[in-house]
Amino acid sequence: MSALGTVYVVDDDGDLGASVARLLRRHGHAAEPFLDPAPLLAIYEDAPADCIVTDVMMGDLDGFGFADQLRAVDPATAIVFMTAWPTTANAVDSIRRYGGLDYLEKPIDEDRLVAAVAEGVAWSRRRRANLARTSALSSRERDVFDLLVRGHPNKVIAAELSLSPKTIEDHRAAIMAKTGASGLAQLIALAE
Amino acid sequence: MPMRQNPSEQVRPIALPRRRSPGDGGGMPMIDPRAIAYPEKTRKDGDVGDGGTWHDREFPGLDDTFDCAITAHMNVGAIDRTERAAPLPMSNRALRDWAWLPTYALGFYALHQLAAIWGDSGFYSLWYPAAGLRFAVLWRRGARATGWIVLTELAVQLVTGVITAAGADWAQQAWSIMRPGIGYGLAVGAVQHLAARARDARFATPPMPLGLACAVAPFAAMALSLPTVFLRPDFTRVGSPAEIVGSLAALTVGDLLGVLMVAPPLLWLADAIERGQRPTLTMPRVTAVIEGSTVLTIALGLVWALYDIGLGRPTTPVLLAVAWIGLRFGRAAAWSAILVTALVVLPHTAGLATLDSMLALHMGLSAVAVVGYLAGSFADADIRARADLARRDRLLFQAERLKTLRAMSVAVIHEISQPLSTLAIEARHLAGISASPLADPGEVHHGAQLIERKAIALATLVRRLRRFGGRAVDNPSPLPVAALLDTVAALVQPEARAAGVVLAIDPGDLDLVVFAQEVELAQAIINLVRNAIQATPDRQVGILAERLNGAVRIRVTNARPNGATPTDGMGVGLLVARTIIEAHGGHLRRVDQPEAVAQILTLPLAEEVS
Repeated sequence: MSALGTVYVVDDDGDLGASVARLLRRHGHAAEPFLDPAPLLAIYEDAPADCIVTDVMMGDLDGFGFADQLRAVDPATAIVFMTAWPTTANAVDSIRRYGGLDYLEKPIDEDRLVAAVAEGVAWSRRRRANLARTSALSSRERDVFDLLVRGHPNKVIAAELSLSPKTIEDHRAAIMAKTGASGLAQLIALAE
Repeated sequence: MPMRQNPSEQVRPIALPRRRSPGDGGGMPMIDPRAIAYPEKTRKDGDVGDGGTWHDREFPGLDDTFDCAITAHMNVGAIDRTERAAPLPMSNRALRDWAWLPTYALGFYALHQLAAIWGDSGFYSLWYPAAGLRFAVLWRRGARATGWIVLTELAVQLVTGVITAAGADWAQQAWSIMRPGIGYGLAVGAVQHLAARARDARFATPPMPLGLACAVAPFAAMALSLPTVFLRPDFTRVGSPAEIVGSLAALTVGDLLGVLMVAPPLLWLADAIERGQRPTLTMPRVTAVIEGSTVLTIALGLVWALYDIGLGRPTTPVLLAVAWIGLRFGRAAAWSAILVTALVVLPHTAGLATLDSMLALHMGLSAVAVVGYLAGSFADADIRARADLARRDRLLFQAERLKTLRAMSVAVIHEISQPLSTLAIEARHLAGISASPLADPGEVHHGAQLIERKAIALATLVRRLRRFGGRAVDNPSPLPVAALLDTVAALVQPEARAAGVVLAIDPGDLDLVVFAQEVELAQAIINLVRNAIQATPDRQVGILAERLNGAVRIRVTNARPNGATPTDGMGVGLLVARTIIEAHGGHLRRVDQPEAVAQILTLPLAEEVS
């Protein structure tokens, strides 16, 4: 049976990382533990994951620094943070600034972890698919797309990009064709 | 001052030279009240009324009150008396309260008789052990027992017919019997009162108050007789100043010797009994015995040699010897030396021909006793004061450890919640699969092993933390430096990890062993390491041990923080570390290098210590 998703678990406590990885494997994921973010970053481009579960307090590179580097490489992977010393500021930052999906306190609530990873894998899969559908857009088409999904009408977009409304119409048709979207609502969903 | 106005009763003045006849001891004394009690008729048993009954009614809580107060001041036979015996059952207490007055009456009577051997017609005795018994009872029961003591002594003298209630001068007689007890009670009360409030620890630390009271009580008793001597000289009917002074001196000397010879062992025994233990003698060190007996033998030999060549009996050499022994080896040794001296002198003086030489010798002996006992008390009090100081330091160290634990709690909670997560995940998994018949035994085994390992690690950490925060500190014992650094690392690792600092630990030779209290020495090093963790700019702290000429040198190093001056970072932690290290016979110094800062602690190796 093929795995639900690829998950990497990063924790400087090897036993905990391995335990969490085994737990996720039992739930159908292809999970691998890592002691340190650095080796994971080294191989990541060749083997990207759907979800990363990472500790916040770690030695050289903490969970947030790691998340920053990871986001630069892969905007489509879900990140779940774990911490033994939860603070409100960190919880807010982990979601708002580092794009985390959840922020889990240790000792870990197993059900919540499993649910978060499942949600993360699903989100990542969707995000990846969306990115694949929009990846064929030319740079001009992407400019138009970005403005379209914010709800701007053609005229405003044309003025914004100093193009004629006719050209915008053409780009819009090309975008619809390339992403296979059947309307503006679907386009907006792709931009999530 | 016993006074008799009846001229028909012949009073024998102090006799120089001595004229002693057994028959006329009943003559009224000039000053020494004990002379009244010189037995003409002897009753075998001092059947003194049931003092216990009065005592119970009048002072039901007497023992509780005084035992508490007195224990604080008394320290007989043992230096450290931190633990109190469990309270006796009520029936035992009642029996003890009931029994002590008749017992005192009997003991007083017996010792009073014994003293007559060193007596003379003008005074009762130049060695009066009954005073020692009186003092011991007063010291234990407190000054409030004075009334009962005085009444008991009065009853004894009445029953044995030494005084008669019907006599014309019964009031004078009674006062002369009561006077010493009252004097002793005042002295004991004053010393215990002052010692409880004294700011000067040198005199308030046990057993100093006891030693002082021993020396003061006889003088207090003597002082009480002064008003009569000088205000009503007609009562004494002895005019010569020499006779008055001689009688006063004899009284005081006899009491001093009696108190100092008898009270300390009695108090020591009572103390041991109260604690419910068999009185045990701690064996003195052989070297101490050899040194003490050599000094005393030389001194006694010197006195004998001086006497032998006709230079009298100067007691100064013995005085110096006993003072030396007291200061060097404490009260018990001083008392033993005083006892030896007394055993040499007293039989000798019992048959001495002239009173002046006897008085001189007894004065010398009492000076020896006072000086020796006070010197011994001072030495014991000093040891005790040092022990108190060490105990206070210990409490301070513990408080500082608790403060450290509080500061490390964030990191420690992290350290504990990690393995707890693992435990929870694995245990839940095991519970899940163990219900299935298809469970893989290898997986179950692996999970169970992991759970056990995590539980042991958690237990070890918790035990270390509890030991670190606890009050109990073991006695110093040989401790491998590697084990010490292991403890240090385990306790400080969570915080280092939280700060992102890597600890580089090198325990050096595995056979490096120091003689130490593990918890406190670990505390000292932890303080240094925590300071280094906070100061280091490059997330590296080194802890390395090495042998250095019969010592071990432990260096805690970190890179020099930017802009920091070499003198900063003198916190309480560093102060505590220094105190602990110096208490272990080592020293701590800071070495500033251009790149790094090192705290270097040097400790003697265990084999060097022993």
